Amino acid sequence: MDILQLLTYLSGVVFVVAFAAKLLKYFTMPMHVRWELYPIPHEGKPYGGSFFEEVDHWKKTRHKDHMAQYAFMVPEILFIRALYEDNRPLWYVTFPFHMGLYLSIGGLVFLVIGAILQIIGLMPGTSALAQLVHSITIILAVIGFVLGAIGAVGLIIRRLSDPLLRDTSVPIDYFNLVWLGAIFVTSFLVWLTDPGFVVSRNYLASLLTFKPRPELSALQIINLLLFIGFWAYFPFTHMTHMVSKYFMWDKVKWDDSPNVGDAGVDAKIKTYLGYPVTWAAPHIGAEGGKKTWADVATTNPWTEQAK
Amino acid sequence: MRAEEIASKSGQPLVDPKPQDYAPLPPPYDKYEDEPIAELTADQKAKWEHSLDGVSALNLPRPESKEEEERLVRAFLSGLEKLLQKENNWTFLQPLTLSMEYCARCQTCADACPVYEMSGRKDIYRPTFRSDVVRKIAKKYLSPGGKILAGFRGHDIDLNWEVVARLAELAYRCTLCRRCAQVCPIGVDNGLITHELRKLFSQELGIAAAEIHSKGSVKHLQFGSSTGMVKAAVVDIIEYLEDDIEEKTGKRIKIPVNKKGAEILLVHNAGEFMSWPENPMAFAILFDAAGIDYTLSTETIGYDAVNYGVWYDDVQFARVALTHLNIARDLGVKKIVIGECGHAHKALSVIADRLLPGQQMIPRESSYTLLWDIVKSGKIKFDPTKNDFPVTLHDPCNIVRLMGVVKPQREILKAITPPGRFREMTPHGVENYCCGGGSGFAIMGSGNFPDWKLRLSCRKKVQQILGAFQGEMDPSVKKMVCSPCSNCKGMIRDAFEHYEVYPKTGIWYTGLVEMMVNAMVDQEQPFLEWPDEDEDE
Repeated sequence: MDILQLLTYLSGVVFVVAFAAKLLKYFTMPMHVRWELYPIPHEGKPYGGSFFEEVDHWKKTRHKDHMAQYAFMVPEILFIRALYEDNRPLWYVTFPFHMGLYLSIGGLVFLVIGAILQIIGLMPGTSALAQLVHSITIILAVIGFVLGAIGAVGLIIRRLSDPLLRDTSVPIDYFNLVWLGAIFVTSFLVWLTDPGFVVSRNYLASLLTFKPRPELSALQIINLLLFIGFWAYFPFTHMTHMVSKYFMWDKVKWDDSPNVGDAGVDAKIKTYLGYPVTWAAPHIGAEGGKKTWADVATTNPWTEQAK
Repeated sequence: MRAEEIASKSGQPLVDPKPQDYAPLPPPYDKYEDEPIAELTADQKAKWEHSLDGVSALNLPRPESKEEEERLVRAFLSGLEKLLQKENNWTFLQPLTLSMEYCARCQTCADACPVYEMSGRKDIYRPTFRSDVVRKIAKKYLSPGGKILAGFRGHDIDLNWEVVARLAELAYRCTLCRRCAQVCPIGVDNGLITHELRKLFSQELGIAAAEIHSKGSVKHLQFGSSTGMVKAAVVDIIEYLEDDIEEKTGKRIKIPVNKKGAEILLVHNAGEFMSWPENPMAFAILFDAAGIDYTLSTETIGYDAVNYGVWYDDVQFARVALTHLNIARDLGVKKIVIGECGHAHKALSVIADRLLPGQQMIPRESSYTLLWDIVKSGKIKFDPTKNDFPVTLHDPCNIVRLMGVVKPQREILKAITPPGRFREMTPHGVENYCCGGGSGFAIMGSGNFPDWKLRLSCRKKVQQILGAFQGEMDPSVKKMVCSPCSNCKGMIRDAFEHYEVYPKTGIWYTGLVEMMVNAMVDQEQPFLEWPDEDEDE
């Protein structure tokens, strides 16, 4: 195994571990108080209404309109509808950028499938399935590279030309965009030099079979290093905002589940009320952590004064 | 302006919001020239921090020594650390952490903010400005290796007393309306960061706006009401209300008080008893006519539905909310119905929902919902022609965007006004704009803050209200803004006085129940009062 293969494995491991740790961090945080924000699609009221509009809502069976939620989420994820509606100038560049990312990742997934087919002996020239996978790979990847490169350059221009974005952008924003742009551009150049992604597929096959890798050109090595470097770096950045999107939308903005005596929820609340409080302001009366949330919330420091 | 500039030690305000920069208002205010925000006096300037925008909402005293400055800066950092700990902030840890870590700096939220827009887009009022300062401090000073490549990573901010003082004021330049969170493509909630910042200052440093803490939630817990009204006064006021009802309707109604086993505990913002007694009167008339089995409480804290802690302090919030729930439980009611008070709706219905195990909770319901049910039931006959004037509806953020109660109040208005008289503001419903008094601004009046709020935070609502009645601006044509929230009404009242809205346009304001009673067939005299009628009397 050579250094490039080792770095590729390492990059994959870092990505998986760091991403899993990130998800675990959010999944294991305490249940927060309700902080929903309407409209909530699963309420099934497009004008933004909720179950609070019904008299004695707690006596009624709650119906969640999951189709309405999907109808909202799919265009949001695929087409970034929020930006289309509220920040069109940015959407013109960020949409191709994100679509480029989606298509490129799709192309990579199909390239991996092609490598697996190749390992079991199904080659594009001889197998209809492998040929189909091969064709999809090229279509997704090439369109993805072009859109991604356009989007990355567009975002850099947008950040430089819009006064507000220019004032609020920081060096790392440009660094990230240049890095991603470089991946898209070098990937496109790799495709120009190897239109069938033969070398790339062979490289993936070597990774999957733990065998020696094929010879790579300087361009392919640069492209590979850019990609695996970013792969390992990505989970540590705010660019993993698909994570926040899931949690902030599904677990915060749309979390309108009423507390109706679920045993699991009750147990959590009891645990939280037992947490020690160390807030230092005198009116809290936390006594440096000697008191719990239950203690401070059920103490009225002014009761005696009132009497 | 870059967020790092908040650390400037010049002692000068970062911005000076001038009237010529404000967003314009529609006719007849298109040529209206506002006075500048009053400067603090030399004495006030010497005493209070005002280096954010020349405005002092908190009357924050300057530290007396370098040591005190350093102690306060350390306390700020300690508080920020506690906000990010599950033990100290389980209530909001997950949404706060997500909002701290994922802003892509796309600035889509900027134009959703009415304060930023109305100020003429002053950077410090941008939703991301204060959040970015907080994020940068957390990254640099609290995250492992935070100082490594801090400039390149974009968080090389200095933390000094100037930053702390300006952030304290800046936490009170946002109404927590959360329009910014509504448009964020990632779901980041900059309004929440403001809320958490207020918590940090209150819970760790004991710094909060006096009107919502020492004169607000403390008074509530000490005397029973943020108005300072004690139990004996409430009993008297309720008797006065009964007298006034008799005077207005010719019918003596007994308002039920502390009635054990009643179906409903009705809770009002106690400010209504003092500023708009016709509101609790109208509730009493409607509930009596509809045969609703309800009671008011005169237990300490139970007669005031407000919960100012929801704006700045989780502990103060929990103390009041738990007392409200305990009082309802002691009365044995089946549900709590919240009167026309927006933040009380959100506090008790939404935020308090996970304070206790489910079996200990008492169901809470919006009065809008119950009132719409009364209208639908046909138990009360309404004559819409009694409300024969143009009407628009203000959506309180806490009830509409933050609770999803959108339709009942509209259906009621359509049922009690003649066809074509009700018109919406633009935008409305869950996309509404705050009245400008949200998050405590309606009651905050220290220093020169009233000047600031009357020019900036409520300006968008004034623009919207005027917009709803364009083409009908003749002051002799009476027009009404239905504002079914006590704090919103307070802000609209103050805005109308500042801009002299009624004499110039004939637009006035009221609550929802007042309009309902005005339209009751059984109500012989008009229930609504217009300002010039008061003068005539």
